[in-house]
Amino acid sequence: MATVTADRKPISFSPGFLAWMTLIGVLLIIGLVSAALVFINGLTMTNMYDNVPWGLWITIDLSSIALGAGAFTLSAIVYLFGLKRFQPIVRLAVFVGFIGYSAALLTLVMDIGRPDRFWHPWAYWNVHSVLWEITWCITIYLTIMVMEFFPVITEHKFFDRMPWIRSFANVLHKAAPFFALLGLGISLLHQSSLGATYGIVKSRPIWFKPSMPIMFILSAVAVGPALTMSIAFIIEWVTGKRAISHDILRMIARYSGFALLVYGYIKFWDLAAVTYYGRTPAVDQALFTLRQQTPYNFAFWIGEIVIGIVIPVILFLSPRFNRNPALLVLGGLLAVIGVVINRWNVTVSGLFVPLAYSPGTQYVLPPGEYFPNLIEWGIALGIIGYALAMITLGVKALPLFIKTEH
Amino acid sequence: MSKKKTKVKVELTRRDFLTVAGAALGSVAAAQFLTTGPLSPFSQLKQSQLEGVPETGHGAKTGIYHWGMVINLDTCIGCEYCLRACSAVNDVAVVKPWNIVVEEKTSTGHTFYFSRPCLHCQNAPCVEVCPVKATYHRDDGLVVMDYDRCIGCRYCQVACPYDARTFNWQKRLDVNPYVPTYGTPEVERRPRGVVEKCTFCIHRIDAALNSGLVPGEDPSANPACVNICPVGARVFGNLNDPDSTISKLLEANPSIRLREELGAEPSVYYIPPKEGL
Repeated sequence: MATVTADRKPISFSPGFLAWMTLIGVLLIIGLVSAALVFINGLTMTNMYDNVPWGLWITIDLSSIALGAGAFTLSAIVYLFGLKRFQPIVRLAVFVGFIGYSAALLTLVMDIGRPDRFWHPWAYWNVHSVLWEITWCITIYLTIMVMEFFPVITEHKFFDRMPWIRSFANVLHKAAPFFALLGLGISLLHQSSLGATYGIVKSRPIWFKPSMPIMFILSAVAVGPALTMSIAFIIEWVTGKRAISHDILRMIARYSGFALLVYGYIKFWDLAAVTYYGRTPAVDQALFTLRQQTPYNFAFWIGEIVIGIVIPVILFLSPRFNRNPALLVLGGLLAVIGVVINRWNVTVSGLFVPLAYSPGTQYVLPPGEYFPNLIEWGIALGIIGYALAMITLGVKALPLFIKTEH
Repeated sequence: MSKKKTKVKVELTRRDFLTVAGAALGSVAAAQFLTTGPLSPFSQLKQSQLEGVPETGHGAKTGIYHWGMVINLDTCIGCEYCLRACSAVNDVAVVKPWNIVVEEKTSTGHTFYFSRPCLHCQNAPCVEVCPVKATYHRDDGLVVMDYDRCIGCRYCQVACPYDARTFNWQKRLDVNPYVPTYGTPEVERRPRGVVEKCTFCIHRIDAALNSGLVPGEDPSANPACVNICPVGARVFGNLNDPDSTISKLLEANPSIRLREELGAEPSVYYIPPKEGL
């Protein structure tokens, strides 16, 4: 293992790399300025208001956690189901998962009204709240991923002089299957409770259904590995080194394709049961409002179904396309876009539907109106900058692809 | 690796047996400790909850007090005095009143006025979803906020079926136009970044009980909206006391609750207009 770091080339600063770093720097500065404005002036700087109290940032939370699901899916495939062939990609998957979860926590701190009280869920428990459970699971899982990834960090030559850290890391490395199992349990819990956050809200007709948690976890399990696969290909193109065999990446893509089919199947029955066979007046009314006043249907059919499921499934499963890495990456990115659109559509559409609680016939709240403003987009860009910076740092400084199995 | 697994002979040595037995016993003990010990999430539950007896309002059904309100839609004239008194006494921002008043129509086209404080549900969705127990049930059935604990995640706002919660998006610097005409602030302004809501003026209820008054019967112990109503459309009182004014009113009149199908069990009852709804 000691020889691993020896043959590393010195970090080069090609013009392309400098341009890339400039882009990341600009994104991070935009994010930091937006964050400062929000911390100084409060959430009034955003376009959210009392009728639509959740918006773009919650979408980012949900999406980045879902996209981090490659970590636990691929870890479970390797350590739990014993498919050791996939071992080479686990490090990258855990790394991507870590970036996703930490990005979600960063956005969450932005989104709550009192960031100074971010620790309250640990101090004051409400065990009945799914949001409490989610907070706990996300932080615990982030810790697990740090444990899983710590041995990789210690392979950096910076730690050459600290053998005790290496030996501690070795202990952690041996416990990897245990962490994978723990991570699997915790991930299964919170990936689905993120859907339950909406599914249990009985006051909002288009949210209140038991399929919510299932659709959330299935989409996460399907798309997370596809994102890891795409990132592996892109890293290969940029660095010019084939780190993971294309057979393995193609198998991940095919797995993702099948998982997307399962997701599509559940989605189909959800649609059939909720909007056709078993529709209630409240759901009918809500969907009517949404279709009239928002691009809900367009986002659902084009964004979630065609872009998010149909095209990626064809690209991942058709033998004609899935030998072409570019098409696999395209499929992965489309699936990612599909998940983001899904999370947006669920969150914002549910809040757009006006609450009707008056006993009379005239008064209903006006339908919600919301589109993120520049500051909210600024935070989004900052988060993207953070993710890109982390990946760049990982590729440059960490042995993401070197096998340590003996 | 372990591809060539031929028949594995299971040989259980004494050591293995003791290990397995020890692990099993240890797990049982740990499970026992975690479910019944002081760390257990169940340790705070009451015996009736453990036995599965349905209990709402955390004691309001069985306690001495269950504060409720009756709003008579037939007598309400839509003057908005309740809104203004509430906003003055609780120092609420004018643009986002806790207590709304709107003009409404019955299905037969008659105009009536609908007003809504917080309904203080006994199965309150907001209480269930709050990740930090910043909003909670008191034993008298009221749903109140701990503004020092709220993290401002706004899940309660999303979950409330009656839109009864508002969020402080910014630090409040506004001048309250209803002060002093409709009352003077009796509670302090809420800080930026927390959710706030109607409290049925708990500061008055608690102070009255301490000085031996009966809320609902003595005007000084009533919520501001009840006292100011020029036509007596709002009646406040103890739903658990069969002799209270509110209980007698409910007994003598038909009443409805809002979105009853959700099972949130609001503590606010409405007497419909005489034309029907």
